[in-house]
Amino acid sequence: MKNIFLFIAFLPALAFGQIDRSQQPKPQTAATLNIKDSEVFKLSNGITVILSENHKLPRVSFDLVMNGSPSVEGEKAGVSDMFSSLILNGTTNRSKDQIDSEVDFIGASLDASENSLSMSCLTKHMDKGLDIMMDVLKNVNFPESEFERIKKLMSSQLINTKSDPDGMASNVEFKVNFPNHPFGDVMTESTLNTISRDDVIDYYKSYFTPDNCYLVIVGDITKEKASEIAKNYFESWTGQSSLESEVGKGDFHNGNQVFFVKKQGAVQSAIRITFPIDIRTGDANQIPLTVANNLLGGRGFGTRLMQNLREDKAYTYGCYSSLNVTENGSWVSMSGNFRNDVTDSAITEILYEIQRISENPVSSEELELTKSTMNGSFSRSLESPQTIARFALNVIRYNLEKDYYKNYLKKLESVDVSIVQEMAKQYLTFQNANIIVVGSEDILNNLKKFDSDGYVTILDAFGSQIEEILPADISKEELINNYLLASTSSKTIKEANKKIKKIKSVTQVSTLTNEQFPFPLSLTELWVAPNKQGRKVEAQGMVFEQFYFDGKSGKISSQGKGKDLTAEEIETYTKNEGLFPELNYQKHDITVELLGIEKVNNLPCYVLKSINDKSEKFDYFTVDGFMKIQTIEVETQDGETSESVSSYADFKEVGGIIFPHLRVLTANGMTFTGSSTYEVNGNQKIEDFMNK
Amino acid sequence: MKRIAISVICLFSIYAFGQRKIEFTEYDLSNGIHVILHQDKSTPIVAVSVLYHVGSKNENPERTGFAHFFEHLLFEGSSNIGRGEYSEIVERNGGALNANTSQDRTYYYEILPSNQLELGLWLESERMLHAKVDNVGIETQRSVVKEEKRQRVDNQPYASFTSEMFKRMFAEHPYNWVPIGSMEHLDAAQEIDYVNFYRTFYVPQNATISIAGDIEIDQAKKWIDQYFGTIPSGQAINLYRDFENLDENNFEQKYGLSKSNFNAANFANSSDPSAQKLISSYSKMAIEIPRTTKDKSELSGLISDTIYDNIQSPAIFMGFKFPDQNHADSYALDLMNEVLSGGSSSRINKTLVEKMELATFAFSFNYGLEDAGAGIFAAIASQNIDLADIQNAFDEQINKIKNELISEEEFQKIRNQYENSLVSSNASVSGIAENLADNHVYFGNTNRVNNLLENYLKVTKEDIQRVAQKYLTLDKRVILYYLPKQ
Repeated sequence: MKNIFLFIAFLPALAFGQIDRSQQPKPQTAATLNIKDSEVFKLSNGITVILSENHKLPRVSFDLVMNGSPSVEGEKAGVSDMFSSLILNGTTNRSKDQIDSEVDFIGASLDASENSLSMSCLTKHMDKGLDIMMDVLKNVNFPESEFERIKKLMSSQLINTKSDPDGMASNVEFKVNFPNHPFGDVMTESTLNTISRDDVIDYYKSYFTPDNCYLVIVGDITKEKASEIAKNYFESWTGQSSLESEVGKGDFHNGNQVFFVKKQGAVQSAIRITFPIDIRTGDANQIPLTVANNLLGGRGFGTRLMQNLREDKAYTYGCYSSLNVTENGSWVSMSGNFRNDVTDSAITEILYEIQRISENPVSSEELELTKSTMNGSFSRSLESPQTIARFALNVIRYNLEKDYYKNYLKKLESVDVSIVQEMAKQYLTFQNANIIVVGSEDILNNLKKFDSDGYVTILDAFGSQIEEILPADISKEELINNYLLASTSSKTIKEANKKIKKIKSVTQVSTLTNEQFPFPLSLTELWVAPNKQGRKVEAQGMVFEQFYFDGKSGKISSQGKGKDLTAEEIETYTKNEGLFPELNYQKHDITVELLGIEKVNNLPCYVLKSINDKSEKFDYFTVDGFMKIQTIEVETQDGETSESVSSYADFKEVGGIIFPHLRVLTANGMTFTGSSTYEVNGNQKIEDFMNK
Repeated sequence: MKRIAISVICLFSIYAFGQRKIEFTEYDLSNGIHVILHQDKSTPIVAVSVLYHVGSKNENPERTGFAHFFEHLLFEGSSNIGRGEYSEIVERNGGALNANTSQDRTYYYEILPSNQLELGLWLESERMLHAKVDNVGIETQRSVVKEEKRQRVDNQPYASFTSEMFKRMFAEHPYNWVPIGSMEHLDAAQEIDYVNFYRTFYVPQNATISIAGDIEIDQAKKWIDQYFGTIPSGQAINLYRDFENLDENNFEQKYGLSKSNFNAANFANSSDPSAQKLISSYSKMAIEIPRTTKDKSELSGLISDTIYDNIQSPAIFMGFKFPDQNHADSYALDLMNEVLSGGSSSRINKTLVEKMELATFAFSFNYGLEDAGAGIFAAIASQNIDLADIQNAFDEQINKIKNELISEEEFQKIRNQYENSLVSSNASVSGIAENLADNHVYFGNTNRVNNLLENYLKVTKEDIQRVAQKYLTLDKRVILYYLPKQ
């Protein structure tokens, strides 16, 4: 009896041995995926309607997506943000309060971005919701008071950005990957101040137009009802032609660059290793490249970045690589937050992983894992009817093949080890990355080694450069001597001086162009030892400006009017002695100071400041090579300050001296670019520059 | 313009979809596991989840952060799953997995292709039966959890407000600390502390399995019997864990029987009578799971403090003590919060942000928990605005809802808003699985998911005024002033 009782008491436990827990269960037969086709039809005003019917819930959504190309906002960066914060704030029929209360009253949501307007609600409230949506779309009036309020609000929010490490890292990421590109527009206090209400209205007119726009309808609605609504509500909307413009692909440069944003009291560094890539939506490489990226650091715990930096080293809670492919520019970004003392180790490991995936084939095991993960997430995404609609939208919008998504899993399956490596090699290069760190100042010194020039660019919370000058490692005398040696290709100062002594005169002829000028300018400059100068600006045989200084006096004449040099000017020109005036600074008591090292076009340069009377001059000499690549002159006359910038490049030897053969001159807001030729000890004389 | 790239993606994630009425089957296994099954065949996926009724409130005050730490530790592997392979197995089979920990519970789930249901059950049964709780995993996860805290709390502006608020609001209850806990406590803990936590809380009687998606109910039940029905009940599960983990000497010392008396391949069916007897007596020995009690105490008065944080704009956080989420007043409190902070037309947004321009963000929300609740009001100041002005504006709104009935229009609005959000809740099969489990564990009524709208529609305008008067006590609250560190 007792035994039987025990036996019964153990009945459930008996089964304990029936399954072999050491074996992972095998899957059942997989269900086939069924991607339903969406209905697509056009309206006469240019709207393409995409309908994805789904009656599981009594809800419906209407999304209008504009198709105009974005354009660079530059000094008005943030117009689009202002627009999206204002479009729901008033129409000629409804105040913002009325819109808010009417939307909330039916439990709907009405949302906008810089290129979309969406409304969703229970099906029973659909007509009321559409009324409000159409009123906003057609009659938005951007009330002045709301414009001022939102501007103030944004200004407060901008301040808060300074304590948000990921927000700051994103700002920098967009700016450095996409300079002079719509993606690189980051709103700052100063750009916000330049935005007017008219800018917002212009934005609305340019971008919110039915031309080439999409209306995506999803949910509990029949095709008949949807087409009736499209016609009744949306077909009467009018607007101008949608904008078509080409934007660039981002900044592709050589060499890794490090950018740093200081966050006071940070206990972690937010790191982004990012660079633009040359690929567009729907490119045949997009799926295999996504596989390569996901294997490296897509979502999930099994990726290389996650396994290395979290599971193996425990540097972080999460480390990911995201691939962003769009019509208007694409980029890759590896990111994570790491405690201060492992910041540099984390960068090293991420760079190592990027290098490893392009240099060595991945294992077929990892590849299968990545493909299965993507297969799974694709399949899971089909749970939402919004996914089906998005597929249809993408096919039309990006001109994808009709069965792109139906064949997605097949294409995914065909990605093999060699394709992954090819993708990594082609796109995930590791020599031109932007390495962005937002964190504590304590870690700054550990970051230099990652920059190909050893120079960390310091940025503010919005990715704007902070004029930061590093201390110089040589004295000003050493700098001038090195400059002299380099410019004369000499080994000793004695040798250099010998070469310089032989030069009695130099004539430089430059041909300068400017987009707004219909013809090129010819600039002839003469220097005659020790301090005589002549200059002539000509175009199409006509002389625009002429100048000379013969060592004692001089004159500048422009368009027929001449003016003798003042005593002060004569003193300035007298002091400007020698082919290399730097050598005579001491002799003439010119104040000169080596400010430090600053970057010019990403090249670290020594900055030498000299003050000659009313003019302050900043000369920039490259740290490696001692070539003068830039001069900035700031002149103050009668309280007015004018600045001119000359940049030099293409250094070549003429008559024993290294001269720049390319120059870019910016003054009074105009930029001239041109090439120069030189003649040493030629025939021209100062007299040639005097009025006849 | 930088947002253009992501706006289309966002557009499609705004909406969530669920079901009109959620049908489900539920039952208990003999070892105490509660099972809930929901069938939805519209997409070939399945969500497999296990909820353990243990959260930070069950922790030893000297060992805070344990519950959350376990959420990490239990991905380290089991007797049959190698270290780090949990996620790999799921991902390799096209699934996704994650877990989360609150003050009240720890929740694990996988979302798998529907033909992989058995795999999900195996994975979760391994976690329950014999997870690896050892020093190797503890060391790795300790560092990861520290990074999680740095990322989510220490390095985020204002993110310490929950812990600062709860510390002051729940002086006598374990809600005093928050799930992330103390890193010093985690450092001080020994392997044995972790093992004991596993043996106390990760046991069948403390678990709820909730499965939703494309499943056949009969087949699911059969597999659940095989993988979970066979897990030893009572203390027998810990006897089994010792059998696996202790060496011969220690095992015999503890149980007076040699390991050789047990059948390793078929432990529960060990043929030796003395072994059977031991197993039988241990399976009848219930595990004492320490439970907390509801916190019905009131705040003694006004508690205010200033916190200096790495922030740019000052902010104010106010907390009122609310009843637990199972209290009859919680429906009225939710609707009261909707009047104050639901949508752009809500009172707080209209006044503090738009009309008075005192704050860039201002809102309130209800923090509903098993043993108590909290009503939190928060605002981040606009430039050059004094926090005292914000506090006055909040108080004005609080006095208004206490002194005046809400209008008929507002009343209808919040009812419509709730209807909409309830239709849209139960977004996905994974959301449904979680809601079903929560309703069983917290409310003892799984079907509550289907009665929610009805319960909210019973609330009257007078109820809303009554709960405002009862709980929004201006003289008994916590006020935290956040100021930038100099």
